[in-house]
Amino acid sequence: MLWVDKYRPKTLDKVIVHQDVAQNLQKLVSEGDCPHLLFYGPSGSGKKTLIMALLRQIFGPSADKVKVENKIWKVDVSFSLNFFFFSFRMQAGTRTIDVELTTLSSTHHVELNPSDAGFQDRYVVQEIIKEMAKNRPIDTKGKKGFKVLVLNEVDKLSREAQHSLRRTMEKYSASCRLILCSNSSSKVTEAVRSRCLNVRINAPMEEEIVNVLEFIAKKEGLQIPQGFAARIAEKSNRNLRRAVLTFEACRVQQYPFTNNQAIPPMDWEQYVSEIASDIMKEQSPKRLFEVRGKLYELLTNCIPPEIILKRLLFELLKKLDSELKHEVSNWAAHYEHRMRLGQKSIFHLEAFVAKFMSIYKSFLVSTFG
Amino acid sequence: MEFPDAAELEWLEANATYPDDDDDLEFEDDFFQQPPSPPSEPRSEQIAYQPDPKPSLSLPPKPSLPKPQLQINGRKRFLPDDPESSDDRNAVVITEEKRSRVERSEQEDNDEDWLRYSPPKQPEEEPMVVEKEQEEKILAKYALEIDGDCTPVTGLDGERVYAKICRVENEMVKKLDVTQYSTGLIQEPVRMLMQRVEHDQFTRALEASSEDVNEANLPIGTVVNEQLWVDKYAPSSFTELLSDEQTNRQVLMWLKQWDSCVFGVEIKSTTDDVLSSLKRHSLAVQHPRRSSRSSFGNSREPRIDNEKAHNDLHPENSDSDRIKDLWDKKHRKGGPPEQKILLLCGPPGLGKTTLAHVAAQHCGYRVVEINASDDRSSSSIEAKIHDVVQMNSVNADSKPKCLVVDEIDGALNDGKGAVEVILKLVSAERKLRAGKENEPEGGNAGQKSSKRHQKASLLRPVICICNDLYAPALRPLRQVAKVHIFVQPTVSRVVNRLKYICNRERVKTNSLALTALAEYTDCDIRSCLNTLQFLNKKKETLNVLELSSQVVGRKDATRSAFDIWKEILQKRKVKQTKKSFNCFSSMSNDFETLHSLISHRGDYDLIFDGIHENILQLHYTDPVMQKTVKCSDILGCSDIFHQYTMRTQHLSLQVYQSPLAMSIHGLVAQIGKPNIEWPKSFQRYRTMSVEKKEILHSWKNKIPPCISRHLSTKSFVEDLISPFLHILSPSTLKPVALHLLSEKEKADLSQLVNTMVAYATTYKNIKSDPSLVMRHGASDASTLSLDPPIGEFVNFKGYDSCHLVLASAVKVFLVHEAEKQKIMQGSSNLHSPPTGAERQGVLSCENSSTLSKASASSDKSIHFRDPSRQKQYDLPSASSQKRSGGGTTASGKMGLPERKKKPFVDSRSFFDRFRKPSDKATQDKDNAKPGQKLEERDSRPLLFKFNEGYTNAVKRPVRIREFLK
Repeated sequence: MLWVDKYRPKTLDKVIVHQDVAQNLQKLVSEGDCPHLLFYGPSGSGKKTLIMALLRQIFGPSADKVKVENKIWKVDVSFSLNFFFFSFRMQAGTRTIDVELTTLSSTHHVELNPSDAGFQDRYVVQEIIKEMAKNRPIDTKGKKGFKVLVLNEVDKLSREAQHSLRRTMEKYSASCRLILCSNSSSKVTEAVRSRCLNVRINAPMEEEIVNVLEFIAKKEGLQIPQGFAARIAEKSNRNLRRAVLTFEACRVQQYPFTNNQAIPPMDWEQYVSEIASDIMKEQSPKRLFEVRGKLYELLTNCIPPEIILKRLLFELLKKLDSELKHEVSNWAAHYEHRMRLGQKSIFHLEAFVAKFMSIYKSFLVSTFG
Repeated sequence: MEFPDAAELEWLEANATYPDDDDDLEFEDDFFQQPPSPPSEPRSEQIAYQPDPKPSLSLPPKPSLPKPQLQINGRKRFLPDDPESSDDRNAVVITEEKRSRVERSEQEDNDEDWLRYSPPKQPEEEPMVVEKEQEEKILAKYALEIDGDCTPVTGLDGERVYAKICRVENEMVKKLDVTQYSTGLIQEPVRMLMQRVEHDQFTRALEASSEDVNEANLPIGTVVNEQLWVDKYAPSSFTELLSDEQTNRQVLMWLKQWDSCVFGVEIKSTTDDVLSSLKRHSLAVQHPRRSSRSSFGNSREPRIDNEKAHNDLHPENSDSDRIKDLWDKKHRKGGPPEQKILLLCGPPGLGKTTLAHVAAQHCGYRVVEINASDDRSSSSIEAKIHDVVQMNSVNADSKPKCLVVDEIDGALNDGKGAVEVILKLVSAERKLRAGKENEPEGGNAGQKSSKRHQKASLLRPVICICNDLYAPALRPLRQVAKVHIFVQPTVSRVVNRLKYICNRERVKTNSLALTALAEYTDCDIRSCLNTLQFLNKKKETLNVLELSSQVVGRKDATRSAFDIWKEILQKRKVKQTKKSFNCFSSMSNDFETLHSLISHRGDYDLIFDGIHENILQLHYTDPVMQKTVKCSDILGCSDIFHQYTMRTQHLSLQVYQSPLAMSIHGLVAQIGKPNIEWPKSFQRYRTMSVEKKEILHSWKNKIPPCISRHLSTKSFVEDLISPFLHILSPSTLKPVALHLLSEKEKADLSQLVNTMVAYATTYKNIKSDPSLVMRHGASDASTLSLDPPIGEFVNFKGYDSCHLVLASAVKVFLVHEAEKQKIMQGSSNLHSPPTGAERQGVLSCENSSTLSKASASSDKSIHFRDPSRQKQYDLPSASSQKRSGGGTTASGKMGLPERKKKPFVDSRSFFDRFRKPSDKATQDKDNAKPGQKLEERDSRPLLFKFNEGYTNAVKRPVRIREFLK
């Protein structure tokens, strides 16, 4: 078991990082009930941990007893030609779609990731979630008269799915609470947001991360030199999960920590910075072609394109003259936006690289002749 | 003025029909039988009078023959020759027939128009004597009545009228050399002249009818039975083929390779002297005449003759071909060619089908064609092919058959059927040949005998024809067939051919217009001919400037994706701009072409993928990459467009995709030929990433939910994998015996094992994968690598990750430990997820005992299962034995499996349930008197205690961990 999991706070009062949020949540559910919640914040900031702790607070230890179910749902959809490119069986006016969905459930709650269904997420929301929300938990002889649905990655839900979600949230609020979890609240529609209590989980400050690392070190009985934890925290990009993992990796590689010990980098970040230096070295269509190959490599390994773009921008900005920074960032935003609208992320990533090359080259030409 | 009498009018009436018929052979017969053409006939065209331009024949005064007649609005009049006006037609005054003039006025424009440029050509016109007096109004008694040129005609009785010179239809241009004949008396009697003319015409007609029966009665009024020119002038012999010489010859060569197999004769190679004489001869042969047709089976020599004539066009090619041909013959006596299928592909209208037919006929085959209009289901086509390919024909002509499968790429499903059948035949043939190899094959007899055995082999040539070589259905066929790609014939060849046909059809054209037409239709001779014929029908001439409006429709052909990419990325040569087009029109022309090309194809997704794939390989000047930026912006734009249209289903928006592609054309198109590749990388990325996502997904599902719930697949790759790999391969772990490790190291090790189990990773034997070997630097045949192949996720191309790789001995050990750990968890996980602290406890326990012992025990724990299960099976019998034998079996051996598997046993069979209590009873007795069994029990590391009492006590679930302690 990794330290990340080992030292994950199980209850709200053991939380180290977001203590204020935890206290508020504790107060919120002290009455035994809670509104719909929307947790949002960057990855590795502790959203899931808080949600789990919250569930435990509400339902007690039985919330931890979860089982995984991978089930294929058959959803009848009234026939419309909106989506024609997936397999379905035609039945007089309706068709049946098979939607495969993995759920994690305890007696009191169900966790699911509706965006896994891809473009069928609408049906997941319309049919499956509604079905779940409708049924009151059978086990009502106890105290809790409602069940909780935890929906992960709500920001990846399509607009249609989010629209169909909002009615569900109102209609079945008697028997069901939704806890939504997303990375960015901006991708959750206004309507859904207004129906929830929004809980912002920001990325932990570096000091907080250092605190956590020191806490772990103490528990593990490790000595960490002054400033080493801070270095890890700095490298972690304010991502607590990454910090703890890196810490453990360091521990495994070389135990008596030294202050200048190498901190293992994320491999893909390393690769992106290689790409960035490639771009800085030469700006030509040929180089762009090579960069394309490398971008494909990253994409193939499931690194999300937005993150590649962000990281690439970050790496490029490090090497860039300050007067260009603004423009380049602007274009990065532009292309990220287009990437969201489009489908083939490689086109847009490449377009950004091309744009950067163009800007940089003309800058070089104008300054150095 | 006097009017002609009734008899004369009647005579004229009869006469009037004559030109309609236009068949000189039937002239005499028809003369009095044809009914007069209805007066109300809307044929408003003028007249006609056909003079004889040959001075020697000086025809115009034709006293013996048809009198020119005058028909005006249904009234036919004969205008007798006026003696005074005969010498000078200008002197003839029009005093009557005002009406005729009125009627005519609207036509005069046309007439004048025509007359303006036709007269200069008159003298050199061919000596065609066809008399057409089809129209009215143009004859007048007085020359003044006629505008423009006219000719005097003298009737039988010496009357003279003036006929206007005009053109009838497009067929034949009538000319009238007025000045020549106006004065015209000749020595020879007119009858003689007429006879001569008649004779001339007769011979000509004979000639024409020998070529083509239909041609004779083509001209006027025979619209119905007019043949399409495409069919009419289809090449009927090899020499007339318009397609590329090289291809023709290769096809022929391929067919010839069958000769020995099909005809059973050796091909005689032409001797040198024959060749040289042929060469000499071919120089003399100017134009291959189509009349050189003859029956094919017997006369192969003359063909070769003609063929050689063509060789002069490509001397070097044909020479090398010939050598190759000979070589082939030598090496492949008796057998059919290597590739039994010939696949011809190319855009429509270049003559693929024609080539196949002509070549097959040329080689003496009877062509059996299966085309898209036939039933092409797999079974029916199979029967047909078998018929053709394997049977010797019993028909009278006894020519072997050659199968031509036309339009094989037609409909996907149907085409597939045909392809499958053909492939089956070919593969059967392959197998047979492999078996037959030892057999001496040579000579006719052997061949025949083998024919009898081979039911399913291919004994006749099969020619497949398709338009799109890259149709998915044809993929397997492509590999076994000999593929010939048709290229466009040169424009000049097409134009020559068109000219020849136009001449035959007597259509007036100029080569400029024909060239433009050929270019416009991409040398599609079929559409050229159709266009010409259509224009001819409309009595229009081909006009260079209005070509695009005149040509009725453009070919609506979809081109292959490669063609489209080529069109987009390659600039057309700008030679036609210098000609008659101005720059602007050529640009818009280009625009039109590209637009229709792209939108006909329609598959914008693919098109843009292709552009994206290839665009960076182009060499365009782009100092600060502006163009590249623009192009990639456009590509992105098209992607957004595509996504939007797909999401909203506004498919009509797709129209705007092609301008996007065209703007890329405008930016980067170069004259140089681009090296275009099929867009593979995007597809590859797509499939690979799906694969990898699947790996992640299944990995996540394997991880116990209490851990995996906190992770998303995204965070796996983003945060987890890199440090995780580091954690999994600690540098401190030494590959030494376990008992040599210090306590701390053992703790580390247990921590590592714990992690591996928690994250459901293990090492697995993987067959040496080249990439893996490279990465590990080891050349083991099989290496141990992580089971969910996590390492792959950081294995970027051209990137050297600094992850340590454990020695394989360590890996083996880790696998072992992990297995043990898993078994220990197996029982505990069933009911409650173990907390970290709990597990720590377990580990510390374990560590306190020696590791070797631990591993031994783990071994045992694994072994427990199997024997225990075995025992389960014979438990009932054993227990019965026990009872009878007085309880000899040890409870220690029995009890353990029993306890462990109790639920199983209970549920397994109905009767077991009843046996249990009695079983227990016997065991109780056993327990009561501990014997030597106890020692045996003690020797094992496991201890258990049996609870006396009711069976419920035994059913308590027990964790295997407890046994391992």
